[in-house]
Amino acid sequence: MPVDNKRVCGPEESQSPWLFLQQTRGQPTWVPQTRESERRADSRRRRGQVDARPMFARCGLVSQAKGSAYIEAGNTKLICSVYGPRETERKDELDMRAGRLVCAFRLAPFSCAKRCPWIQGSQEKDLTLSLQESLQPGVCLHRYPRSQIEVNVLVLENDGSALAHAITCASLALADAGIEMYDLVIGCSLRQDGAAYLLDPTCCEETGDESTENQGSLTVALLPALNQISGLLSTGEMKEATMVGAIRVCVEGCQRLYPAAQQCLLKSVRRKVHARSTDVDVGR
Amino acid sequence: MALIEKPQMLILGERLCSIDDCIAGVGTYSRHGYILASLAGYVLKKNEGEVLPVISVVRETEAQLLPDVGAIVTCKVTSINPRFVKVHILYVGSTPLKDKFRGTIRKEDIRATEKDKVEIYKSFRPGDIVLSKVISLGDVQSNYLLTTAENELGVVVAYSEAGAQMVPISWCEMQCPRTHAKEFRKVARVQPEYLQA
Repeated sequence: MPVDNKRVCGPEESQSPWLFLQQTRGQPTWVPQTRESERRADSRRRRGQVDARPMFARCGLVSQAKGSAYIEAGNTKLICSVYGPRETERKDELDMRAGRLVCAFRLAPFSCAKRCPWIQGSQEKDLTLSLQESLQPGVCLHRYPRSQIEVNVLVLENDGSALAHAITCASLALADAGIEMYDLVIGCSLRQDGAAYLLDPTCCEETGDESTENQGSLTVALLPALNQISGLLSTGEMKEATMVGAIRVCVEGCQRLYPAAQQCLLKSVRRKVHARSTDVDVGR
Repeated sequence: MALIEKPQMLILGERLCSIDDCIAGVGTYSRHGYILASLAGYVLKKNEGEVLPVISVVRETEAQLLPDVGAIVTCKVTSINPRFVKVHILYVGSTPLKDKFRGTIRKEDIRATEKDKVEIYKSFRPGDIVLSKVISLGDVQSNYLLTTAENELGVVVAYSEAGAQMVPISWCEMQCPRTHAKEFRKVARVQPEYLQA
């Protein structure tokens, strides 16, 4: 079991600061509500069940990387950086004709309510694999033989649907890096709770009680212009009809996020071109 | 660098035109009878002399170049061996690469004539800058395969054992200006317009 010796770990026992909060300050808002109406109280007051959280996206922040992107959706914040194409370290037969996509999905230790260890756990490895599976159909890997493209996603704050936003962030970073792609891959997730569903759930909305049937989460990755689903990750138990309906709702959610992602990309290309033309003028 | 007048900017996945109007160029792909963009950038439509104009998408930043078969590359020798020479590919054409790619020049690909009598120690030394051509992307175990078996390919910059940059005398010898010692290299015949006084 690899142990991380290089970092100073916090104390073994730690208490939540909410316990020391005085009662007069009122109820803390993070306590998960059990009933659906209360669950939607704070974060959902202004949006319905099929509205995704408004997304803020910006490309080209990390100067060292070939391409990068930052996404904020509600309180979920993630950053992605793309390096490549580089020479592959390990080669096998498939590498000769097409390139390879190497993904890394990391949750920062301060991102979740409970501190995550710095070394990748099995959940992160699972999400990395899903991220790679969703991105691979979107990238023109046959244009980059014998090379590998590295995609690193770091979740700074996890407030629900981290994988879905990671997929969108990674495809924006790939497009910012100038890697040829068939289309942007947009991710959207949904939480099914009994008969009701919520699109783009926050962290509290993602956990539900086990008693009702038809409980589950679904994450869909879509290529909107080609209308192809490249990734589907589902947990829980859902009936077939419910699942089909949930996929349809997710696809619509992705289609609605597509213009925002396109605008962000356009702005970044314009900014890069403007910077380059001013450099050329100064050089002359 | 020529700036494109009144460029039309677009994002990837956007439909450019039908496949009957243009030929797909760099940065585009064809699907379902349409040509779509695969890069976010500017549209360039050129008449290359063929029946249909070629449509391509370019970004102002340096184009992504990978060493391709037949490309002239500039490399630096890292190690020599009685059978082959290992190099790091630094430039493809005139664009520098951000990451180093590794290449190999086999003994029989160094010269065009008298291939079996080649001595590697008399053709290249570690640290030399060499102009070569890519002959193959290589298979699983090997790196890019390069060749210098032409007059215009070979060593362009080399340092003598004394440390000074050597001057080429003939196609197989270079001389150090400080010690006047001659050393053997497989020298490239560079076109006069590329030589700086």
